[in-house]
Amino acid sequence: MLIKSSGMTDVGLQREGNEDSYSVEDSYGLYMVADGMGGHLAGEVASRVAVEIINKSFSKWKEIQAPPDEIFGFPDESLSPEGNYILGSIRLANRVIYEMASEYEQYNGMGTTIVSLLVGPGRIVAANVGDSRMYLVRDNRIERMSKDHTIVAEHVEMGVMTEEEAARSPLRHILTRNLGSSENVDAEVFEIEPSNEDLFILCSDGLTDLAAEEEILKIALKEADPQRLTRKLIDLALERGAHDNTTVVTVLLDQVEKKRRTSFGRLGGLAADALTGVNRIKRKFGL
Amino acid sequence: MAKLILTFNKQVIKEYPFTKDSISMGRQEDNTIVIDNLAVSGYHAKIDKLGGEYILTDLQSTNGTFVNDQKVVSHKLSHGDNIVIGKHVILFVATEKEKIEGEGKDKKLPLDKTMLLDTAKQRELLAKQKIAPSTVKIPEKVGVISFIDDSGLGEIELSKKLTKIGKAETSEIKLSGLLMGATAATISRRPSGYAISFAGGMTKLKVNGAVVKDSVPLNDFDTIELGSYKFQFYQKEVKSA
Repeated sequence: MLIKSSGMTDVGLQREGNEDSYSVEDSYGLYMVADGMGGHLAGEVASRVAVEIINKSFSKWKEIQAPPDEIFGFPDESLSPEGNYILGSIRLANRVIYEMASEYEQYNGMGTTIVSLLVGPGRIVAANVGDSRMYLVRDNRIERMSKDHTIVAEHVEMGVMTEEEAARSPLRHILTRNLGSSENVDAEVFEIEPSNEDLFILCSDGLTDLAAEEEILKIALKEADPQRLTRKLIDLALERGAHDNTTVVTVLLDQVEKKRRTSFGRLGGLAADALTGVNRIKRKFGL
Repeated sequence: MAKLILTFNKQVIKEYPFTKDSISMGRQEDNTIVIDNLAVSGYHAKIDKLGGEYILTDLQSTNGTFVNDQKVVSHKLSHGDNIVIGKHVILFVATEKEKIEGEGKDKKLPLDKTMLLDTAKQRELLAKQKIAPSTVKIPEKVGVISFIDDSGLGEIELSKKLTKIGKAETSEIKLSGLLMGATAATISRRPSGYAISFAGGMTKLKVNGAVVKDSVPLNDFDTIELGSYKFQFYQKEVKSA
């Protein structure tokens, strides 16, 4: 499998500091965007600590193939070992930020969102806490691979608010979960099978506040190069006033190994169909 | 300090200064503002003070919460807003300072900044909600595939986020067959629901009779064929512990 990736962050036009952090690690296929919050430099610290801790703990666990019960917190049975490494790393980052925030006065109230993408052979792990998002562009369609932890997202899920209302609501920036505000946190983790030409877009709300999903899709379909696509998405936020820090990471998969049908395969396919046919006939006649 | 004035039939009943970060309204006695009227839900609505803004949220009440005759789910309160709950009207009064701030820097709302809701308080309220007759919680669902061929495999619950189907020993659902791929197909649980993908091998994947070369979302009672195997997908509610 070939991976092309790119990451970029911009302070925007109205903020003084950049509280977003991102990370692009092609060597072990881990990509992240974090959007920090908290006064002075605390937001920056929180997002940077989250990204660093997740990188460190994931790569270590992955390297030594840590058994699931040795990671941080209880493993989730529905996840693969890699999925559990990510989940454990996010929990660990949360705990560290939480401890820092309660220990040091200058870090009181700091927190961060996190969205992470792990690309492994045969498995993609998508995880998030907060409102930084991940999109998957596949087959000319765009699909969200993250779940917002905001009041409005909960309202949408309960069916009392539409997506459009949510995007305009004054409450749209109020999170129900982040890293750093409580001792334990639940991350949203999804696993899917990779496919050729899968394009993943990770971003902070600096982009999603100013660009609709369809617009992001339109741009993504026109620009195949991750580096240029990242630039274009950042530029779009800047053109629209960029009231917040904006961060984008794009990851494009190529040559995903899927046994393609060779001429032998086609023959095999015929044989398979014949077998299926035979089975069907057998069943029909109760053989 | 901002305050709330509870009125009924244009008669002031009581004033409530905004001394806490959150004020709840409802029929139950542990609310900040108790309104003993059958038109009012147990925990009807709440107002949170967030970064100098006052946010009214309807707590899934039976009869709804209205601000200046508009039904609202959530609403940023401004000075002079009339909150209507049942037959009671609650007037929101901002302080002079807040009034000026509210008018002056309307464009630079602190709400533009991301912030965290006091989750402890919210959880508490949501927990109470569960007792109320109209439950808020959306039932958790899990996907199941049910074999309708003669393989005798019965029903298999999709307990993993990513279920691999194929010949490989490591498959969650192991199917045999000469032409079955090591991993022939995968079913993944995504934010939007379940989806099935073709993964490899010489056995075709069909959903409702159509060949799938990449992936398609799964809906309840879709029929899936993989070679001579045939099964249906559906979702069932999980009984929460």
